Amino acid sequence: MSASTSERTPPVARPFAEHFQDLERQQHAVRLGMWVFLSSETLLFAGLFGLLAGYRSMYTADFLAASHHNSVAIGTANTFILITSSFSVAWALHSVRHGARRVAALCLALTVALGATFLGLKLIEYADHFRHGIYPGSHYAFAEMPSHGARLFFTLYYFLTGLHALHVLGGMTFLALLIRPVVRGRYDEAHHVPLENGALYWHLVDLIWIFLWPLLYLVG
Amino acid sequence: MSYVLAWLALLVLTAASFGATHLPLGSLAPAAALAIALAIASGKAAIVLLVFMHLIEASTPVRAVILTAFVYIVLLCAGIVADVVTR
Repeated sequence: MSASTSERTPPVARPFAEHFQDLERQQHAVRLGMWVFLSSETLLFAGLFGLLAGYRSMYTADFLAASHHNSVAIGTANTFILITSSFSVAWALHSVRHGARRVAALCLALTVALGATFLGLKLIEYADHFRHGIYPGSHYAFAEMPSHGARLFFTLYYFLTGLHALHVLGGMTFLALLIRPVVRGRYDEAHHVPLENGALYWHLVDLIWIFLWPLLYLVG
Repeated sequence: MSYVLAWLALLVLTAASFGATHLPLGSLAPAAALAIALAIASGKAAIVLLVFMHLIEASTPVRAVILTAFVYIVLLCAGIVADVVTR
């Protein structure tokens, strides 16, 4: 790497776009836009949660029995991992706003590492499911629970956790790409919206899992 | 500092959610367990939204947007379940 990584690159004074009165209003618009995007992502999962609610009402016993097969240990570990990663990314933003770029970069790296750990555990889970013949949809071949309800549960499980995992991967990529600009001092108290948006996206990933975990892993 | 407290609160609620699955609830078990699990999850979500995502200091339009999304999810799930169980 070049020697300039240790020098501070001053934040570029960004002229705001023509249709905004000032920079503050533009930043407010960016923030609002990000929340609208987050809400749309929430609605994307809403359909799947709706299916989960509906089919759970129709096949309650099968759903409860099937969710017993999921590893509570891995699911709970992943919950702790994501909650801690939310803390670390929030701390990264906090550090940038207070000028502590190295701490911020370390926190971002920790967040990405925790995300990778989450995905690693999910892969272990999926591998175990495949070993038992648990595949989504028409490929389902779990001899121990052949019922229609169990098949629906696991298909929904794959769609929900798979879609969530894609979001984890996307969030990790975005946060990883932010590490270098953070180290170079591109963001500070006045200009940190990209980092803020990356953090918001990551918190959404945590939020979705907060609801997935009890519904897919914890039974009555 | 509030981030640390929020994180600890989230860990406590996670443990509580896990512990609640071992409560003896008798015949009401599935429905009550689901209600408790969703209540705790909503509490955790509120902490993440208000503290980590700074919703507590956000403008009204921002709060209205995310609130609308959650209200919609509740309506969607309630509607689907109401339809399915009354067939």
